[in-house]
Amino acid sequence: MTQLPTDIKEAETKDRNKLALRRMFLGRIVRSLSVSFWVMVIAFLMIRLSPGDPVRIALGAEATEAAVTEMRHKLGLDTSIFSQFYHYFTGIFSGDLGMSFFSGLSVTNVVGTHLPVTLMIIGMSILLGIILAIPIALFVALSKNQIATYLFRAFTSVSLALPGFFLALVGLLFFGTTLNWAPAAGYTGAFPGNLHFLWLPAVVNCGSLVPVLSRVLHSSLMDTLDEEFVETGVIRGVRKIRFYWSYMLRPSLAPTVVLLSYMVGVMIGGTVIMETIFSLPGIGRELITAVDSRDYPVVQGIVMIFGLIVVFFSFIGDLLGYLLDRRVTLS
Amino acid sequence: MSNAKTKKKRQVREGSFGLYTGFGMMGLLILAGLIFPLISKYDPNQPGLVPMSPPDGKTFFGTDLLGRDVFTRVFDAVFIDLGTALVGVAIPLTVGTIIGTLLGISKNKRVNSLVGSIIDGINAFPFLIFVIALIAFIGPGLKSIILALSLVNWARYARIARTRAVVVNQQGYVEAARILGFSKVRILFKHIIPNVSSETRAYALSDFIIVIIAVAALSFLGMGSPPPQAEWGAMIRDGAQILTLAWWPTIFPGLALCWAGVSVAFIAEGLQRRLREVNTK
Repeated sequence: MTQLPTDIKEAETKDRNKLALRRMFLGRIVRSLSVSFWVMVIAFLMIRLSPGDPVRIALGAEATEAAVTEMRHKLGLDTSIFSQFYHYFTGIFSGDLGMSFFSGLSVTNVVGTHLPVTLMIIGMSILLGIILAIPIALFVALSKNQIATYLFRAFTSVSLALPGFFLALVGLLFFGTTLNWAPAAGYTGAFPGNLHFLWLPAVVNCGSLVPVLSRVLHSSLMDTLDEEFVETGVIRGVRKIRFYWSYMLRPSLAPTVVLLSYMVGVMIGGTVIMETIFSLPGIGRELITAVDSRDYPVVQGIVMIFGLIVVFFSFIGDLLGYLLDRRVTLS
Repeated sequence: MSNAKTKKKRQVREGSFGLYTGFGMMGLLILAGLIFPLISKYDPNQPGLVPMSPPDGKTFFGTDLLGRDVFTRVFDAVFIDLGTALVGVAIPLTVGTIIGTLLGISKNKRVNSLVGSIIDGINAFPFLIFVIALIAFIGPGLKSIILALSLVNWARYARIARTRAVVVNQQGYVEAARILGFSKVRILFKHIIPNVSSETRAYALSDFIIVIIAVAALSFLGMGSPPPQAEWGAMIRDGAQILTLAWWPTIFPGLALCWAGVSVAFIAEGLQRRLREVNTK
């Protein structure tokens, strides 16, 4: 049986789409790997910014010459910079991020114990952010009311300008002391129980997440509303839920998903402060403690892990964004 | 014709509300920062009043744990906070714009991809985490905050500037200047950079909000100015320890910080709408 011209054409476009997908996938992987490499290099070089000898500063002024030499040897700081980088770089792949100056724990150990709490807070914030942002953006986009749009703009830009750490303290004062809904300190690791400790930090994080998400979603919804297929949907009388999802949200989601992956980095910063305020045993509080005690290997390790996490999420976000909307052309 | 003209005059220009509100709020804050510390009868850094006494007719914002007047301290901190943030934006804006522009117009592929990779690498780190880590290595203090902010943020400006410079470099007026035989330096500073920096300056305004908050947040984490210097973040840090006993040493500096952030947000929003209006005309 001979193929009809249209079939051939269809098959060709399918092939071309597949090829484009594969090319973009490979390109993104190469790019992410190269950025990851530079993240490692920058984290490695950071320790050299400290004025004077980092080991001597960390050990204090009273440290004996022998102790300094020994520590330097233990950290491999007495070798050339290239061999140091080689050890650091190969160490990362075998899960060795160095040892803490003081606690004697390996940095991998510190990250492994505390990262889950941080990721839990970020995950909760994102979930809550999505749940709040979608209806808000939909409501504002669908209401023809000018005042609603205006209020939406004003509220989002004001709430973006509010400092999260201050909101957290106000929240703690109000929900913790006055209403007694949230604990001021303490934490249990088990899943449903820990929500009691995590809900307020997640809500405060949403103070900056929801405005950003709903703004971008709102503007892509407005673009979608101009498309002809939305009108078709209205005329055909599609059921409400199907209309909202297939005609409005799905074609509009791609930019929001890409932005969400970018916001992971911003959220990590906010979460560090939340953990300090709510005394949560996350990796951010560990970072602040390490900064205070000048525990350089821990600082270096945590920063590098966060850098890699952000690279990973922006890779996933780009990919999802592309799959959701093939019209998106990626730079 | 004349009718249309008067109509146009009477029409409120796009973004005016945001601009007026923003500049008004910022002006009030600066004015208060100038006047109140001067006319206040209390020294901002000198303890001596009854500690933790609530706001009343004499001490409008109450006193803190050490018995210092919170009102005087909040307004004494205006220039420290805004000034640090301003310098913390101006340095990376300048450095990033110049480096990004040079990358955008240079034809050296190797340097371009190397510096480009470094820029991508720096931008990959979460902003606040990277700044905190850098301060760990440089040491605490407001100068360190500025240095750390500059080391991190120039890369964001450079990325914007590079993309823009590639476009500007191909424009007719740059070509014309080249044909006229102007020197490379003159073309760069008179023709390319002004057109590139319109974009980076717009970003700088929204960045200013983030940096104002970041400076206070870093001080809140104990990485800013050493005591007794009045600074919003540091005041909130001190106040947070006695939050359940006295709310005023925490809330008032926090409100001042919000005020500053919101006023810049209004200016940014207004300016953005004004520019959009100009562009669509």
